[in-house]
Amino acid sequence: MDFFSAGLGLACLSFVLGLAWRVHGRPGSRLPAAPEQDRRKSGLAAGLADIILLRRTLRSGKVRWAGHMLLILGFLPLLVLHAMDGIVTRPLFSGYEPTLEPWQSARNILGLAALAGLALLAWHRGRRLLPLSRFQDWALPGLLASILLTGFLLEAAKMASPADFERMVADYFPEADSEEFLALQALWARENGVRFERFLPTAPEILEHGRELHEDRCAGCHAPTATAFASRALADALPARIVLPRTVPPIFWHLHVGLSFLALALLPWGKFLHPLASSANLVARGGRRDSGFPATALGRNLALEACTRCGQCSLHCSVAPSRRVLGNADILPMDKLADLRSWLDRSLDDARLTDLVEGSHVCTECLRCTQVCPAGIDLQDLWMSSKAALSEEGRAGVDGEFRKRTAGEWALDLGSRRLGGVGSSGTGLADRAESFWGCVQCTTCTGVCPVVAVSTDPQRDLDLTPQQIMNYLRMGLKAQTLGARMVWSCTTCYKCQEHCPQGVPVADILYELRQLGARTLRHKGKP
Amino acid sequence: MRYAYFPGCKIAHHLPAHGMSVEAVCDRLGIGLERTEFACCGYPVRHESQDASVYSALRGLAQAQSMGLDLMTPCKCCFGNFQHASHQVSQDENLKLRMKNLLDEERLPFPETVRVRHLLQVLDDSLDTVSKAVTRPLRNLRLACHYGCHALRPAAVTHFDDPLAPTVFERVAAATGAVPLPWELRLECCGYPLRGRDESISDLLMAKKLSGAAASGADVLATACTYCQLQFGRGGGIPSVLFPQLLGLALGLSPEALGLAPDAPWLGRLEKE
Repeated sequence: MDFFSAGLGLACLSFVLGLAWRVHGRPGSRLPAAPEQDRRKSGLAAGLADIILLRRTLRSGKVRWAGHMLLILGFLPLLVLHAMDGIVTRPLFSGYEPTLEPWQSARNILGLAALAGLALLAWHRGRRLLPLSRFQDWALPGLLASILLTGFLLEAAKMASPADFERMVADYFPEADSEEFLALQALWARENGVRFERFLPTAPEILEHGRELHEDRCAGCHAPTATAFASRALADALPARIVLPRTVPPIFWHLHVGLSFLALALLPWGKFLHPLASSANLVARGGRRDSGFPATALGRNLALEACTRCGQCSLHCSVAPSRRVLGNADILPMDKLADLRSWLDRSLDDARLTDLVEGSHVCTECLRCTQVCPAGIDLQDLWMSSKAALSEEGRAGVDGEFRKRTAGEWALDLGSRRLGGVGSSGTGLADRAESFWGCVQCTTCTGVCPVVAVSTDPQRDLDLTPQQIMNYLRMGLKAQTLGARMVWSCTTCYKCQEHCPQGVPVADILYELRQLGARTLRHKGKP
Repeated sequence: MRYAYFPGCKIAHHLPAHGMSVEAVCDRLGIGLERTEFACCGYPVRHESQDASVYSALRGLAQAQSMGLDLMTPCKCCFGNFQHASHQVSQDENLKLRMKNLLDEERLPFPETVRVRHLLQVLDDSLDTVSKAVTRPLRNLRLACHYGCHALRPAAVTHFDDPLAPTVFERVAAATGAVPLPWELRLECCGYPLRGRDESISDLLMAKKLSGAAASGADVLATACTYCQLQFGRGGGIPSVLFPQLLGLALGLSPEALGLAPDAPWLGRLEKE
């Protein structure tokens, strides 16, 4: 089996197996069922328009749109008409030869357009998305650019290669005598850019003879190589003294074909799938930009695979400022989606799960990522359903972790640790004696607390009342307060603080205790 | 009169009617709303991290300052957190320095001059204009105005109104021709902050408020905060209505333009002129 069939076979196998693995379906039961939604304003036409015109991409930026348009308009025809010419172009167009016009110049125009598109995309990524980019974000455009560049290099090498010239003459003009061979060589060196080792005559009559032979034997299948203008420019750029060895064109051919097979093999993996998966998702979404459609397990699986890692969601995320302060990558949608996928596939390790849970709870469900996503992913639905699913499995964030154990257990666990304080100097309100100097334990804070008021037995429901918490803190018993239900079930209404006759910032202190709890868990990794 | 309009995170998906009615009312009254891509106000993340919360708020204020405008929000929790963040940095030099550095990296100014206004304050500022613009007074409608905690308290930080005897909501509500009723629980918490944290207490707080509002004899409970409305929208009994929707009706706008269901039973009271 030769390189081509073996490579094509392996690439197809990888593509089919990878695709099967990718769509084999994950345990969708892990996410709660989506609420039934109406089916208004969804249309196949709108979905198709989103794909063909890249309407959602246009909304996210003109440079990204132009880059994608150039890439798609350049690469897709090359893929269909050039890479698959044996099964598409030749049967469709009688007399097709890749070395004839308009194919030769078309290849060059399309290839340059695709390269220009890639250059725009790389420029955009470097300028706006650098901190969000990972290996595959560069690997995909890098691989496509390599395929295009090796294509140009292959074409240029074939033009310049004397060995290829000799092979063609041997195939199509085997009876040529040495004089005819020389005349043809002279013409091809002059007109078509072949580089021969020997010095060739330039006499007009020899060239004229060469032209006659060319018209008779070559021109039927060969347009002037100048029509492949980009490749010809590359060939001409070769220094005059260099004659390409016989091995160069095959090297470029193997590279060009090998890289193309590699791309086919990688298509089901990571963001390489996005041209297919995002398109399918756009059709499924039918032009909708709100959340809740299509509300099916299949729709969700499609949405999970459709991410192109374009970074738009993370650039526009409403809680990006929190990400800057807290440093957790999973606060931003793009990385959170990747970890959510792993969690659904049960392949997320515990440290990452802690990040995912925090990201899931910092999210404010503002819909913006869903509105800007060029792939039309219903991220809102994924965030809301996964937050519920994580809570269902005992991952309800800081608040949920603290509720898992009693105040007494937390006091034992945290009592021996230096908890530190919240705030700039390491000593927050709860650590400062001044905070409580005025406290006379008058119980006004407890008396006005609406949470205490709705409880029939505050000791049982809340462990400590607000004024008891102030008293514990005054005595330096911070660990004893941190697990108290009162801290975690404070509704933040600030009545205690407003009504305190002594100016104790009761509600601010309860806030501070929760912040301290969050920080303690973050540093602990997990409870 | 122009403001940098800060809708807050919950409107787009969870309560689009709030955004619709605020925009429709401001449009009718000639209050200019300038939009920019704001991030979160930092209120929700305040349980997790002071720095993240303060930075989120200051970033929004810095954006408004760059626009040369004061910031207006229809949400009491956003309002409260903006005020809280400004207060925090005014009290804590180290925090201020950290925040300045973070803002610097985003080429944003440290917000010194920008004022935060709640929708009710903005309406109160031009009460005459509002009264004159009312074309269809809500004469038969008795309102229980719900204040919402985070704008009201702590008053030393929020500077919204008198924390023990506020009047701004009733004043603006009266301009629509409706009758705001005094009721005992008007300054109590709606319970939303405990959603997803302590559902049973959240439910109890909500039920207490709703029954209190109903007992006052009101036809509807009026809210002026996204979170409060999300909370009361879950409960039964007395209907909870966003104040900008009520004002919009008084200004002659249609229920549909305000995100109201035209067949809501309480709308029937308005017909009985």
